[in-house]
Parts: sequence; C-alpha cells; structure tokens
Amino acid sequence: MKNPIKFFTSIRLAIALFILLAIASVLGTLIPQGRTLEEYSARYGGLAGKLIFLQLTGLYHSFWYLTLLGFFALNIIVCTLTRLSGKYRRAFKPHVTSDPKSLLVLKAKDRIKKNAPLADVAAEMKKILSAAHYKTKEAAEGQRLCLLARKKIWGLFGSDVVHVGLLIILAGGIISGLGTIREHIALNEGDIRPVPKATFEVRLDKFATEYYPDGNVKAWKSTLTVLELKKPVLTKVVEVNRPLTYKGYSFYQTDYGDNWDSSVFEVWAKKTSDAAYFKKFKLKVGERAFLEDKDKTSIAFQKFIPDFVLGETNEPETRSLQPNNPAALIEGFRGGEKIFSGWIFANYPDFAKMHAAKDKTAETDLTFELKSFEASQYSVIEAAKDPGASLIWIGCVLIMLGLGLAFYWPTWEIKAVLEESQGKTDTILGGLAVKSRENFAAEFEKIAAALRRSK
Amino acid sequence: MNESTFFLVAFILYILSALFYLTFFFSKKPGRAKMGSALAIAGLVSHTFALILRTMESGHAPFTNMYESLSFLSWASVLAFVIIDKKFGISKIGPYLMLIVIGLVALASSPLMPKEATPLVPALQSYWLWLHVSVTLLGEAFFAVAFITSIMYLAAKEPEKKEKWDSVSYRSVAVGFPLFTLGGLVFGMVWAYKAWGSYWTWDPKEVWSLITWIVFALYLHTRIVMGWKGKRSAIIAIIGFLAALFTYFGVNYLLTGLHSYA
Repeated sequence: MKNPIKFFTSIRLAIALFILLAIASVLGTLIPQGRTLEEYSARYGGLAGKLIFLQLTGLYHSFWYLTLLGFFALNIIVCTLTRLSGKYRRAFKPHVTSDPKSLLVLKAKDRIKKNAPLADVAAEMKKILSAAHYKTKEAAEGQRLCLLARKKIWGLFGSDVVHVGLLIILAGGIISGLGTIREHIALNEGDIRPVPKATFEVRLDKFATEYYPDGNVKAWKSTLTVLELKKPVLTKVVEVNRPLTYKGYSFYQTDYGDNWDSSVFEVWAKKTSDAAYFKKFKLKVGERAFLEDKDKTSIAFQKFIPDFVLGETNEPETRSLQPNNPAALIEGFRGGEKIFSGWIFANYPDFAKMHAAKDKTAETDLTFELKSFEASQYSVIEAAKDPGASLIWIGCVLIMLGLGLAFYWPTWEIKAVLEESQGKTDTILGGLAVKSRENFAAEFEKIAAALRRSK
Repeated sequence: MNESTFFLVAFILYILSALFYLTFFFSKKPGRAKMGSALAIAGLVSHTFALILRTMESGHAPFTNMYESLSFLSWASVLAFVIIDKKFGISKIGPYLMLIVIGLVALASSPLMPKEATPLVPALQSYWLWLHVSVTLLGEAFFAVAFITSIMYLAAKEPEKKEKWDSVSYRSVAVGFPLFTLGGLVFGMVWAYKAWGSYWTWDPKEVWSLITWIVFALYLHTRIVMGWKGKRSAIIAIIGFLAALFTYFGVNYLLTGLHSYA
C-alpha cells in the first residue's frame, strides 16, 4: 500500500468490499448465529470449534466483519471527499467559456447560422433556455460570447448525499451497538418496576389478551403508567406495534406468561363412603383450609405443575409452561402432623385418591379433584433506549433523497458559443448529460429547433 | 362477482395475453403484441379488483400469507412490465414475463397455498404492512423486468437489440433500486423498530435484503463509475434478481427467523 489515499479512493476496493460483504453476509445466514456450543457440536461435529474460533457463529459482530465495514466506511469517506471538490467547482464555479471545437465532439451538438446580430441571437437563446428552466451564465471572450446553461444542478450531488446517508447509518449502528439499553421487565398487574438507568418507574395497571372468534390471539394489551417520583405522569395501552415512548425510552409489548403463583385454584373434596359429601375450596399455592369448621383436619395446596411429567429421577417436573397436564400436590394435616398426600390431575379426575402418610399403600376415604386452573397472566415489556436510532432515520432520509437526486434529478448542461461576422451570427451548441441521455437528447433537439425557428 | 372470480378471470386473461405474445414472438405481427398488451392490462384490471375485494373482505392488506403475497407479486410484475413497455416498447419480453406471471399465479392457486384470509396476528397489525410489503414487492417486480431483459441481452445477437436490452435493463434497475431501498430496507427498519424494538436484528430476511441491495449497488457502481455495460452488467442484474427471489421465497422455506409470516 504505497499511497493509502489512493488505495481508499480506488473503485476496485469498493467492488472488492461489496463482494466480500455479500459473501460474508450469506455465510452468516447459512450458519445459525449465536447458538450454544452443544448445538454447534450436534450440527457440525468436530468443525464446531473452528467455526467458533473464526467467529462465524457471531459473524455480524465479529472482528473481521466489522473490519470489512470499517474499510467500507473509509472507502466511502475518501472517495466522496476526493470527488467533492471537483463537483463543487463544477457546480458553483464553472468555466463559462468553452472552445467551440470541444463542443463539436459532444454527442448532442448543433450549429445554427442566423441572419441577425449576436445580441439578438443571444437574447433569443437565453429566452428559450430560461423557458426550459435552464439557468444561464455568460462570458465574452474576444469576439465570441459563451453561454453556459444548466438545470437540476443538485443532481450532481445525488451519490454524495447517498454516501453521507450511509455513513450516518454506520455511525448510528456503532452508537446503537455501544449505547443501547435494553431490558425485559416482567410485570404482574399492579407491579411497579424501575426502568434501567432511568429516574422513573413503570407500573402495569392491566394486562389482557384479546382473541378472535376462532381462538387466535388478536392482541396483547398492557396498560402502562409512567411514574415520576411515585406520581403518575403518563398512561398508555401498549400493544405489539404500538409502543409507549417517554424520555428517549420505548416500551414494547414483547411477551407474556402464566403466573401460577398468584392464581386461584378450585379444588373439590368428596368421600368414597358418603356420596352426599361435597366441599369446594379456592386456594392459592401454599394456602391451607380446614376441611370442616369444627374439625382439626386441614388440607394444603402445596404445589402446582402446569405440564406434569416424571423426570429422570422419578421426581415430578414440568415439561413446559403451558397447562397441558395441570397437576396439584394436596396434603392433609391433623394438628401439626401430615396424615395424607397425593397428586391430583385436572385432565384425569379419576386419580383422586390420597395416600396415607404412615402407610403408603393405604388409601384415604377423601378424594380430591382439581377443577379450575386459570392462570393470571403477567406481561413482559421490553424497555429500550437506543441512542443511535435517530441517526438511522436521518441516514435513511438522506439515502432516499440522494437516490432521488441521482436517478430522477439529472443535471443537464448546454453550452453555446456565438460569433458574429458581418451582421450574421454563427452559433455552436453542445450538450452534456450524466444521466437520462435519451431524454436529454430530445430536449436538446427541441431547444436547437426553437432557436432555428426564431427570427 | 367475488374475489376468486376476478382472480380466475385475471388468470385466464394472462394466459391469453401470453398466447398472443407467443404468436407475436413467432409471427412478428405487431397487432399480436398489441393484443397481448391489451389482454395483460385487462388481466391487471381484473386482478386489481380481486386484490381490492380481498382487502375489503379480510379488512387487512392483501399480502399476509404466501398466497396473498404471490398474488400481489404477480400483480406488481404485470404492472412493472406494462409501465416499462409503455415507455420503452419491450413487447418482445411479453411471452417470458407473462409465463413467469402465470407460473406465480398458478403457484398461488395451487392447493399447497392456504387461501382463507386469516385474521392478522398482532405483529402484522400496522399500516407499515402496507408500506413495507407493497413498495418492496413493487421494487422486486422491476428487478424481475431487469432480469428478463438481461437474459434477452445475453440471448440477442444484433448489436442494436443488445444495446436496447442493456438500456431497458438499466432503466428497470434505476426504478427498482430506489423502491427496494425504500420499501425493503428503510420501511423495514422503521417497522422493525416499532414492532420489535430494534431497527436491525440480523434476521436472515434482513440480511438477504441487504445482500440483494449490495448486488444492485455493485451493478450501479460498476456501470456508472467503471463504465461496465452489456454482458457483465447483465450477469450482475441476473444475480441480483436471484438474490431478491431468495429473499422472498428461500428465506421462508430454508432459513428460520422472525419473518415467519410470508
């Protein structure tokens, strides 16, 4: 690398970077990102270690991918800057005079001779050009008069505006990557939680899931209130696609879950020996209730498992958080002594018998059924503050503006050299368009024809 | 008439249009091409009614599942073709484009695609669904035109024809690229920020949109700065469209990510 500026201005570098970034990005979609070593080992066997070493498993945040992006940014900066001064001069300090020979080699050119003095032809020419929205500058050079007419001059800067937009997006990305605060906050109704690194708190007033008639979820709605020094300042119903924003923070509806700990379960007690016996209990996990008012016997709702399964050690555990096989552990006490216990299942009401505490094989006369297991739901809100986001939006606007300028605001330039001899004026016209050459050629012809027709 | 009738009528008109374009292709009678174009426009009108009716019936934008988005993509492709054809006269690609459209419509009509309009999941309940998907697919439709004209360039023999295909191909990219940037990347980021809380998450569909964008950026830079034209430009445009196609189809079926709706 003899000359670093030259290296970074080269379009070849830009092309190499486009290709490398595209290939690297493809790779990142083929190898699942951010999984555990076990998953990679199961998938790739012995290759797993190498993939992790080469940072292919966290590719988009890897040192080498970021280096590619860094080179890309440098390439854009150097290219844009080196071209900008030339473009600036061309746009705002142009050479008005031109050599007629140089005009005659252009693709769009014409030569018109008129039986009129130069001043009249020049005035006519300027009138035609201004009618076609060209801005004209003029300069006399000896006997000649040179005209430079241009329109949509900002089109020259389209690509630069796109590049500046891209750089701002990259900068925004860096700021987001370094400075984003993001935390999931789980809230039950009524809960107040501090917002990370902020002076205010949020409270969940209400959480509701709405369903379509066919049973699919229509919306999760969390009514959130922002509290400043314990005083409510703002309340909004937060839904997916409708976050609450406050002081640079956004609060998103991201998840929900069943909170079995605060749910109320309904348990029915019956007796095998007495068909008339029936008692109904409403209990939370850990609560106790007396069987009879005067009796010393009480039952305790000890545990709840939403998706009951026996684990490897024959211990009850839950397979999922969904209530697929709800089960409750009921225990009976007399005085301080446990007298019976047993698991009951909402899906299998026949398993209602209890085992006596002293003699495991003996079954009790009392039976229990788990009748309802409606969970109260908690809401998971993501609190996020992304200091780079506003830069991203500025960059996006610039990119779209720049693309509009580059593709649909083409700079067109018409130069003319007028020369008078013996009351006759010879006009040489030349035109230049960077983009939309076909449309320009048509307009150029029209302008030349208008001049030719004029008196 | 209901949505499916209009859809069927559009399908039949597209087939007739393709047939006329095919006979034009062999007979070179300009009247056939005119007929093909008129039938394509008639099909487009009927298809437009189908999309409007579906929107009114379901109450949401007509691209929330694969059937709907295929139908919309084929609609956008005919629209892009009609626009470019009006401006540059490209009736020769009529048969190819209409065959692709028929393929898309047939795929949409196949029993593999569930057709019932399902209520929107919470993540899709946003006006950004309209902006993001319609503008992106419209951009991709122009890439499709660039793809076909690039193939025509490679297949053509006479220099004037080659030059024309090259120029039309560039024009299509010049329309498609800003649309794709706006719909796919800009609107996509804005919506992701509103719905997921982060404007960019390196989700496979996001990455493939970026890859498509990079390929077309490469097309534009090699062409405008380095003066590449013709064969090399055509090949890049073809790769770009294939990347767009993979972004649209492949990511859903071969990769997993957040964009699991359509």
